[in-house]
Amino acid sequence: MLPENITAVVARNEAWSGHAASEPYEAGWAREAVIFVRALKEPEGVQPSCRVEISPDGMHWVPEGTSAPMPAAKDAVVALRVGHFGNWLRVAADFGSGARSVVLVTIHLKS
Amino acid sequence: MKPDDTTGAMAEAVRRAILRADPALSRFDPLPRIISHDDFSRGYCGWTQLVGNYEDDLDTMLPGYAQHTSAMLSTLGHWDAGSHGGMDSSYALKIATRPRAGAQNVAIKRHTFRKRGPIRFETYFTFKPEASALKLGETDVRAVGFLFDLQGGDRDGDSDRVMPHLRFLNAENGAHVQKWQFKTETTPFRVLGNTNKTFTHYHLAPQGWRDLPGGGQRLCYNEIPTKVNWTYLRFDFDLASMRATGFQCNDRVFDMSGFDSIRIPAMKNLWCMLNFCMFAETDVDKRAFLYVDSVCISGDF
Repeated sequence: MLPENITAVVARNEAWSGHAASEPYEAGWAREAVIFVRALKEPEGVQPSCRVEISPDGMHWVPEGTSAPMPAAKDAVVALRVGHFGNWLRVAADFGSGARSVVLVTIHLKS
Repeated sequence: MKPDDTTGAMAEAVRRAILRADPALSRFDPLPRIISHDDFSRGYCGWTQLVGNYEDDLDTMLPGYAQHTSAMLSTLGHWDAGSHGGMDSSYALKIATRPRAGAQNVAIKRHTFRKRGPIRFETYFTFKPEASALKLGETDVRAVGFLFDLQGGDRDGDSDRVMPHLRFLNAENGAHVQKWQFKTETTPFRVLGNTNKTFTHYHLAPQGWRDLPGGGQRLCYNEIPTKVNWTYLRFDFDLASMRATGFQCNDRVFDMSGFDSIRIPAMKNLWCMLNFCMFAETDVDKRAFLYVDSVCISGDF
């Protein structure tokens, strides 16, 4: 049987501002993940970094260590590669006053 | 008994014997042909996110659909007891809402059919709220349910689009209601964009649910938010008459004579459609989780 791989859309056309995060995603079966964050509209204000977060339970989150600048322009894409994450994954970012971005966040998992 | 009847009876006896000796299928009662058997230890098995329609701009997607996210493969991992696991593997499909009262999420499997005849949908499922509080939360999940999205063939004269819906209304505004409901109405159709090709309606709108006669049922809910028990469900539908013919949940078999579906005019691009959806709704600002251990969809064709 071919190894499982899947694309999950965890945030689509969501306006991120302030403290923002994608919905928790369980992926304990996967050995690797690549997460793409695309700006669907022209970002506004100073764009922060986005970071991968992991969790023991889907409720308490800690930074995994992988981060990237939020996409700087409409249709720009950034990638976050993760190889050791246990079960729970999400992407989080903290936007300053007046900053926002409308995002598409997709998680690409492979067993 | 005629020779053909004898052969048929023997064939059916052999089929049943094979099914009952198969640990993966023995707990189901499929019709003669299995269309799909989804054991989520083998992946997502074609269950994907129900995405709303749009044209030109994602902002045209109705909010009811915009909130949906992808289902996941879960071991029902809990902070206090670890992974709960499924019935005979570690995995189940998990459909999770956002943590906002009234939020919904829907997973869908899209097929077409080759004969308008009986189909059967069987599943083992359970549901719980996110275990973010140290109490049972038995009224946190508003509902879990399923629906079909069906349309006859392009040469059929009676080709309505037919959408049977059933949900277990677990709780509403804090009351532990526990009853099965169906609906026969959707929202008015809206045209998206300007090509006259794409339309949308919100069939899971909260309005219009009606009680299934005799549809009260108390399910096994257990005693803390991280203990779950798997529940059996069977729904029978006849694609020829486009009528429900049976419904069972655990030990209860329900009279479906009072049941009906959403019926709307046929659409020009949905011929022979055979879609299956499962959904969850939360009643409070807490995620609701529908877990599906396995699904068996079968037909007589």
